[in-house]
Amino acid sequence: MFAYHLRLGLKSLRRNPVLTALMIGAIGLGIGVCMTTLNVYKLISGNPIAHRNDVLFAVQLDSWDIQRAWNQDDPESLPLELTYRDAQQAVLQSDIPDRRVIMRKAAFVLASNDEKSEVKPEIVIGRLTLGDFFAMFDVPFEYGGAWDKEADSTSEPVVVLSKKSNDTLFGGENSVGRSVRLDDIEYKVVGVMADWQPVPLFYDLNNGSINEIEQVFAPFSRGELLEKSSAGNTNCWKPEEINSLTEFLNSECVWIQAWVELATPAKEQEYKTFLDAYVAEQKKLGRFARPLKTKLSNPDGWLVINEVVQNDNRVLLGISFMFLAVCLLNTVGLLLAKFSGAAAVISLRRALGASRMEIFRQHLMEVSIVGIVGGVLGLGLGYLGLLGARQLDEGYERLAQMEWTVGLMALGIALVSGVLAGLYPTWRITRLQPAPYLKTQ
Amino acid sequence: MEIRPILSAMMRNKTGAILVALQIAITLAVVTNAVFIIDQRLEKMARDPGVDSPNLIFIQSIGYRPDYNHRNTIAEDLELLRAEAGVVAASPVSGVPLSGGGSSTGYRAKPGTDEAGNIPGNYYEVDEHGVAAFGVKLVAGRNFTPEIIQKPDQPTSEMVPELIITRAMAKELFGTDDNAVGKPVYDSLGQNATVVGVIEGMLGAWPNWDKLPQVVFHPLVDRGPNMRYVVRAEPGQRDRLIPLLEKKLIDANDTRVITWVRPHDYFTARSYSDDRSMATLLGVLTVLLVTTTALGIVGLASYTVNARVKQIGTRRAMGARRVDILRYFMVENWLLTTAGLVIGCVLAFVVSYWLSTAFELPKLNPLYVLSGVALMWVIGQMAVFVPARRASAVPPAIATRTV
Repeated sequence: MFAYHLRLGLKSLRRNPVLTALMIGAIGLGIGVCMTTLNVYKLISGNPIAHRNDVLFAVQLDSWDIQRAWNQDDPESLPLELTYRDAQQAVLQSDIPDRRVIMRKAAFVLASNDEKSEVKPEIVIGRLTLGDFFAMFDVPFEYGGAWDKEADSTSEPVVVLSKKSNDTLFGGENSVGRSVRLDDIEYKVVGVMADWQPVPLFYDLNNGSINEIEQVFAPFSRGELLEKSSAGNTNCWKPEEINSLTEFLNSECVWIQAWVELATPAKEQEYKTFLDAYVAEQKKLGRFARPLKTKLSNPDGWLVINEVVQNDNRVLLGISFMFLAVCLLNTVGLLLAKFSGAAAVISLRRALGASRMEIFRQHLMEVSIVGIVGGVLGLGLGYLGLLGARQLDEGYERLAQMEWTVGLMALGIALVSGVLAGLYPTWRITRLQPAPYLKTQ
Repeated sequence: MEIRPILSAMMRNKTGAILVALQIAITLAVVTNAVFIIDQRLEKMARDPGVDSPNLIFIQSIGYRPDYNHRNTIAEDLELLRAEAGVVAASPVSGVPLSGGGSSTGYRAKPGTDEAGNIPGNYYEVDEHGVAAFGVKLVAGRNFTPEIIQKPDQPTSEMVPELIITRAMAKELFGTDDNAVGKPVYDSLGQNATVVGVIEGMLGAWPNWDKLPQVVFHPLVDRGPNMRYVVRAEPGQRDRLIPLLEKKLIDANDTRVITWVRPHDYFTARSYSDDRSMATLLGVLTVLLVTTTALGIVGLASYTVNARVKQIGTRRAMGARRVDILRYFMVENWLLTTAGLVIGCVLAFVVSYWLSTAFELPKLNPLYVLSGVALMWVIGQMAVFVPARRASAVPPAIATRTV
């Protein structure tokens, strides 16, 4: 029976190729457009560290101006970064977290340590962080690994290279134990990352969410590194004289990102209590003039706070689904016309003994073919759309490839919407009274 | 006119008519809102940056060798840049306008620390060639003099002695853009500087900032080792100068690295890339949507024509002219389109309401809806014309034959 219906369906579709092409085209286009925007949306809004979502937390303290909130449009907002003092006292010196990082970005001149090297010195963005960074954020290593706790406190000149900078300087060879020069100072390579590019760049969203990772990673507290001006965001609110590094480190300027790892909800609670107590203590010293507010956000929450998904993406997604609606209405209209044109034939079949169910199944088959072929076409168009979207924006190039889940979803949407679009016309055709059509014959 | 028979024919196939009308309604709603958003983005990107954008080159230098001498390097670099044929002016600069990155601080007309008196300004540290190098027009007062340029070797909170501000900044500070020259401006520490010049206008660093025209020049060349230069080329010389200047600077001094030698266009294109992507994507969506709707009309009309061949033949045999048949289908489509457009107008404002409340986009300008209505009428009529003409070609003799 299945094969028979399939044959009938194909035959009916072939009878009117232009109409068939229009229907398949409409569904394909609708699906293709939705898939392109869904894909971009999903990649932008994805959480690349979802598997550690319940143990990682970004730390925020409201150290801002009593006269205005961090974001003037939102009185509940907290600064996205910490002051140096708070990063030290509330994050680094607490032993509650299982792991912790305080970090920032800076520009370096990266050069080979080999005098004869052909590789030209190059300006790269580096991340100054702690050794825990790599384990916390699940960074894969090609060679070697993170620096140890000792390097954090003694601040040895050690460095972890990204795959890209290791490729440039060492041609991709194992460079662990060898040296590079950062701002003309020798640093020992302790680790080389494997290919790693989280999208969005969840751990530092201050300068956009689809940025490339840093090229070198070095300990946060090295003297000469502390002096380097930031390549990230520094925000100050307090009128205070800053005429030296010490004054800057003691200022109310926020410029450090902090993350902690807390293995259990109990620990999370304990650390939150610690932070509240810390701020209460600081209030006695005349700091933190605003109402006491501290916040621990998991990566999901952090992506929301940083507004990673822009309104434009949501608008596009909404408009794409309206587009799909038009395509479906289009298909319903065409199917309706097509089926009603076949009224005479159907009446004949009914008169010859085909049941309503039979007619229903046969037309459902026809509709499903349109849905599936349209879906496959849409998959192709969606892929093309993604290629097109990648041309638009430097950042979009990092929207790697099509997500297979989105592909599956698209096929699902195609089939469901195709069948939904076909259900009404199919139902209508089964309600047909055969007699009048037979009479006019 | 023969509207009544058309209507009664339509009533016999209500669903089909409703579907077409709904399609047209959604299309109108989406297209008007999309075009409205596209227009705003294009307008934003077309804003006059105030600086001589097409002829500007930015260059970054970072010293890294122990023997790097910051002040000497800058002096030599500037001499080299200014001596090059085709260079109009060059200045050290602390940031790139419209690049998305820069520095701002609070300025006040009276000393104090209250929030109300705090006027944020996006500042650029330049030397006495800054005005010429950016290509901005001085409308009042004078330029910085070489003696006044500050050269600190420590981080410092000291305020510069003089400022050049944009007209917009003057208006914001003093309530008027006249007579700003000579007035003192304070920082939040109570220090003050004198406004020595007013420039016509230029846009600051952040394209989405609502205070973008509030720009201030500081007479200062900061401590290193990072330094940036702005070079203004003679018209047509920019692209020739970019590789040349890069090479000359690299050859002149190897205690630093020269990088990011880029035209100003590069920075603006990057910061407008979100707007450009949005406009492009919406544009493509609009074209596809209108095409799909038009093809839908063609498909459906063709089908009705086929289904009615016998009736058309009968009408022709009864004396209807070809133009009558053509008109019948055109009017039928016009009625359908209009019904759809009426719903579409309402829907367009509903969508606009959703966009403005959920995403803080501005409210739809009704003119866009009117143009959308006109466009959809034309497209509907064009789409139906082909099948309608085929219908009018049906010979009267067909009525005498059985199907």
